[in-house]
Amino acid sequence: MNPYNSQISGDKGPQDFLGSKGILIGAAALLAYGITRRSKTSLALATAGGLLAATSLRSNGNSQAAHTRATFLVNTSPEKAYALWRDFSNLARFMRHVKSVEVLDDTHSEWVVRGPMDKEIRWYAEITEDVKNERISWRSRPDSLVQTSGSVEFRPHRAGRGTYVSATVRYTPGGTLSKTIATLLGKHPQFMVREDVRRFKALLEAGETPTTIGQSHGPRGVHGSVEQVLFRETGNLADPQAAQAYSKTA
Amino acid sequence: MKAVCWMGKENMQVHNVPDPTILNPRDAIIRITSTCICGSDLHLYDGYVPTMEQGDIMGHEFMGEVVEVGPGISRDKLKVGDRVVVPFTIACGNCPSCQDKLWSCCDNSNPNAWIAEKMMGYSPSGLFGYTHMLGGYAGGQAQYARVPFADIGPIKIPEGIPDEKVVFLSDIFPTGYMGAENCNIRPGDTVAVWGCGPVGQFAIRSCFMLGAGRVIAIDRVPERLAMARAAGAETLNFDEVDILEALREMTGNQGPDACMDVVGMEASGHGIVYAMDRAKQMMRASMDRPIVVRQAIIACKKGGTVSVPGVYASFIDNVPMGAYVNKGLTMKTGQTHMMRYMQPLLERIQRGDIDPSFVISHVLPIDQAPQAYKTFRDKQEHCTKVVLKPWDSAAAA
Repeated sequence: MNPYNSQISGDKGPQDFLGSKGILIGAAALLAYGITRRSKTSLALATAGGLLAATSLRSNGNSQAAHTRATFLVNTSPEKAYALWRDFSNLARFMRHVKSVEVLDDTHSEWVVRGPMDKEIRWYAEITEDVKNERISWRSRPDSLVQTSGSVEFRPHRAGRGTYVSATVRYTPGGTLSKTIATLLGKHPQFMVREDVRRFKALLEAGETPTTIGQSHGPRGVHGSVEQVLFRETGNLADPQAAQAYSKTA
Repeated sequence: MKAVCWMGKENMQVHNVPDPTILNPRDAIIRITSTCICGSDLHLYDGYVPTMEQGDIMGHEFMGEVVEVGPGISRDKLKVGDRVVVPFTIACGNCPSCQDKLWSCCDNSNPNAWIAEKMMGYSPSGLFGYTHMLGGYAGGQAQYARVPFADIGPIKIPEGIPDEKVVFLSDIFPTGYMGAENCNIRPGDTVAVWGCGPVGQFAIRSCFMLGAGRVIAIDRVPERLAMARAAGAETLNFDEVDILEALREMTGNQGPDACMDVVGMEASGHGIVYAMDRAKQMMRASMDRPIVVRQAIIACKKGGTVSVPGVYASFIDNVPMGAYVNKGLTMKTGQTHMMRYMQPLLERIQRGDIDPSFVISHVLPIDQAPQAYKTFRDKQEHCTKVVLKPWDSAAAA
């Protein structure tokens, strides 16, 4: 297993969580959008749509557990990285789909996640492993509607150029909410975990996560609005408070 | 506020949009006093660079006065009332790239880094008023702008120096200077510079500052060639002479020690390969027309350096890799690492080594921006550089 790449267990790609039908519709939309736009992005989008359709037709659409991992080198010490992550109330600051995490006691927490139509999905999680400055693992409690687990490791760079932060997250679809969860959380698990760790790095290094949400712009029109969704900009939420761990070196 | 918005290919419009607000702790809001149209804006105007959104505010060369500062910025770094020039690259100051002074490669300033990673492997920094692949930040062709990481980028300008002398510290002077620095100039070297637009003009002057003996400037616009000659360059008009033959003759069959491509993806030229490039670009089968970089590789002296400050968007065809490898060339590139150059170049301006305002041909109120884009693109009215004044009314012009 190559620890530097995000991966999915089994031989299924992330698109399986949307189902091949969903992918086909999306692919067709991309293709149509790309062709009608007839401008700079058109070729790329139409091509992407075509590729997506081809990939989707090859896969058979059976859902499996998503297991995805992302590693970023962060210009900080394992101690600072561990401290920011270990306080689970910070997780909502860098996990795009997490609305809040309330810390109940030293090992238990309640997670609230953005669901469809802004509906909240809740579950309880417990910390299963906690090695100071090295590793934290957690999982949802067995009676939760959502079966998920995750872990994060902090390893110092050999030449002292920072800390490798590796996060692994698993979602097991199952139970009544499985379909909703799979669609909302699991449709791009690789993308999600990568962006979460990227934002964790930004919080530690820059004290905030970069965003353009809420900035001024001219009339977007239909094309501008579609492009915003295509570029996944709706998830780049601002972090209103500067991270405590951020040390101003510049 | 008024802002110049990209509404599609060759469609710039001035709209009234909401004033910007502080979104992150290290943001500042600048009231803009001068802002410019850059040659790289023309690539967006012509619709050649992907990932623009309709409604985007243009502009990455601007300066003004700080009117609001976020809670994450200490007063000794920046405060309300400071007069600043804002660099076009956005940098956090604390990531591994920033720590290496590779400011235009900041790890943390591009909220859409994933798009750039698909295309380039790893993402460079966010830019103002450019594509969403490079952040999609609202730009500075407006009355106000939000500046992220404002404790790192903006450089304070003392009173008494007019905007026109310092506003080009936001991009084109440092960009021309880094292009020259990337030429690895030794005293007496000969440098050939393709493109005598605004960046080319600063590149030519920077080559002489760095010790070049000769600069050979290549273009076809008479007033731009004249401007290059005024700086001491010898000039070649590619409509009139065979550039490769002329360079061979001028350098005694050696070739220039360094060749600089200050043109980029929308180069003009002659012949069948140019016609093919043009056709591919029109079909959108390729975004780039890489004539200059090909010619620079062929023209360059053995063991020499090819420096590319020109903008390219994606993949280029028919690069003479054989020549590049067999002649042992070095290529140096990059968006400008602005924070390396702004302070030293401000000092050069203050010392009187250079007055960057020589490049300005038009000063216009912001309402005239849509027409100014066309004038600049078509090189009409001897247009070399447009400075926009966001607070002047159209009637006053």
